[in-house]
Amino acid sequence: MDEEAPGSMRRTSSRTRKVASKMAAALASSDNRMQAELARLEALENDNAGIEAVEVNDDDDASLDDEDELDVVIKGDNCVVIADFHNSIAVHLKRQMKNSKRKTRQAKALEARKAPRTFMELLQEANLEALPPHVPSYLRAAVGPPSSTSRRYFCTVCGFTANYTCVRCGVRFCSIHCQVVHNDTRCLKFVA
Amino acid sequence: MSCVVVLDNGGGYIKAGIGGDRDPSVVVPNCIGRPSASSKKWLIADQLQSLEDPTSVALRRPFDRGYLTNPDLQKDIWDRLLRSLHSPTSSSSLLLVEPLFNLPSAQRAVDELVFEDFGFRSLFVADSPSLVHLYEASRRPEGLVSRARCSLVVDCGFSFSHAAPVLQNFTVNYGVKRLDLGGKALTNYLKELVSYRSVNVMDETLIMDDVKEKLCFVSLDVPRDLQIAWKQGKNNKFKCTYVLPDGVTHTKGFVKDWDEAKRYLYSADGSYERGHLDAAEQLEDRKRNRIDLTKNEFNLSNERFLVPEMLFRPADLGMNQAGLAECIVRAVNSCHPNIHPVLYESIILTGGSTLFPQFAERLYNDLRPLVPDHYQVKITKQEDPMLGVWRGGSLLASSPDFESMCVTKAEYEEFGSARCRKRFFH
Ligand SMILES: [Zn+2]
Ligand SMILES: [Zn+2]
Repeated sequence: MDEEAPGSMRRTSSRTRKVASKMAAALASSDNRMQAELARLEALENDNAGIEAVEVNDDDDASLDDEDELDVVIKGDNCVVIADFHNSIAVHLKRQMKNSKRKTRQAKALEARKAPRTFMELLQEANLEALPPHVPSYLRAAVGPPSSTSRRYFCTVCGFTANYTCVRCGVRFCSIHCQVVHNDTRCLKFVA
Repeated sequence: MSCVVVLDNGGGYIKAGIGGDRDPSVVVPNCIGRPSASSKKWLIADQLQSLEDPTSVALRRPFDRGYLTNPDLQKDIWDRLLRSLHSPTSSSSLLLVEPLFNLPSAQRAVDELVFEDFGFRSLFVADSPSLVHLYEASRRPEGLVSRARCSLVVDCGFSFSHAAPVLQNFTVNYGVKRLDLGGKALTNYLKELVSYRSVNVMDETLIMDDVKEKLCFVSLDVPRDLQIAWKQGKNNKFKCTYVLPDGVTHTKGFVKDWDEAKRYLYSADGSYERGHLDAAEQLEDRKRNRIDLTKNEFNLSNERFLVPEMLFRPADLGMNQAGLAECIVRAVNSCHPNIHPVLYESIILTGGSTLFPQFAERLYNDLRPLVPDHYQVKITKQEDPMLGVWRGGSLLASSPDFESMCVTKAEYEEFGSARCRKRFFH
């Protein structure tokens, strides 16, 4: 097998990081806490948290045009991203990457009969909301919110019961000691 | 001569074998992996299990959030797997286990794989709760599950967890409740906690799966256990150490001291016997004595129970979803009141994420106060929760009228995917 993953059209590259930091900047003016939390939940479904962000793009034809184009897409879509809490950041980013990819590399895209999609894309395409209410579906099977809204908070630094909140990112900590550690090394990690 | 290939195609593991056998002949991860960024070779499924060094393997999976999203990749994996079964597809039927509420696009993609790419003779699609029910009912013909012909199957898998009522051998679709947490999210959460607190293991999915399987457990009293985990030295019975592979003297990670790691199971009065390690654990313990340990290790304490805890209280993670006990209550409540008592009395646990020690006890503790006092609550753990679905499939595949339930290749070619699918009651 060669270097391209079988059946894989998704390409991750150093650009993922660039885009992500731009996102972080764009989001600084909006509700950081909410975004950080969504990004964090999204990350729980990733396959390769660290690797994907740094994986080197070994394709030869990644051009500068690509990057400029991406820039525009991201900027123009900011409000959509922020408004759409259901599609979290990562999903959206991936789609953006792929869409712009298709434009610039149509020939290759046409070759791929069954390009991999994200589950969110397939779900939207299935249009389950249109089903009559008595028909069981993926959407109706979701368990729904808990009957008690009480939430326990654990210190993200050490794991113990946390009574304090970081004003910048909303992450919890239990003590001054853990706050210092958080500010120095982890704050906003999940957005940046 | 014809035979039936039984394929439980999970998002985490594929269990595959021949219908009628007791156990699947292959249990392999449903993914491909590349050992390091410099390597160009992608390893498929079983090749990952025999991998010398599990460090920093990048993974790609055909599944996303429990559903097939990359059929081409699935094809590569099936191709390798089916060849190892030595059952020519053109003369075999396929019993395939699909996730509940599979999307039409994924069903189409699967049908194409089954009939066009692999050329199976016929296909039957089953879901996991009904197969688990079938297997448990056949094991205890005089038991309640078998006599009442219904049960409540709780399946905590790789991508999500379902509570599903089963009635007359069919999964009651309108009663199914899903919690969007499974083994994958738990491993990622453990990676996050360890990376935050000690060593960066964000790239180490394979190793952290091992850590989770060996060291995590479910707490029966979180505030009490947090207090214990806060203590220093010997008083902290949850503290233990995992040694990461160094690529030289040891290429697999391991638990540094199994006696230390199992202390939490010893009750205060010492009723749990010490020093009962199985062969694999003893081997790891011997290993530790041979190795000159460097800094390549990390400690775990409250992480061991805070990780599985998420299944019981997803709200703590910031998820707007009820925990497992409420999942069960809502699944039961969507059925006819007449069968509520018998459902609560025949709860069956299956799926790899139910393997955490004390899982069933905790679920009982959470569930009991939510159920009317005059109902009994009885939770049964499957003997082998990773294989229960497959074993049910194997039973079904060897039943005399199995072939008549299948869709044949000719029918598929004539009517297409959507119409053939109607036969499977989904
Ligand atoms: Zn703390
Ligand atoms: Zn912060």
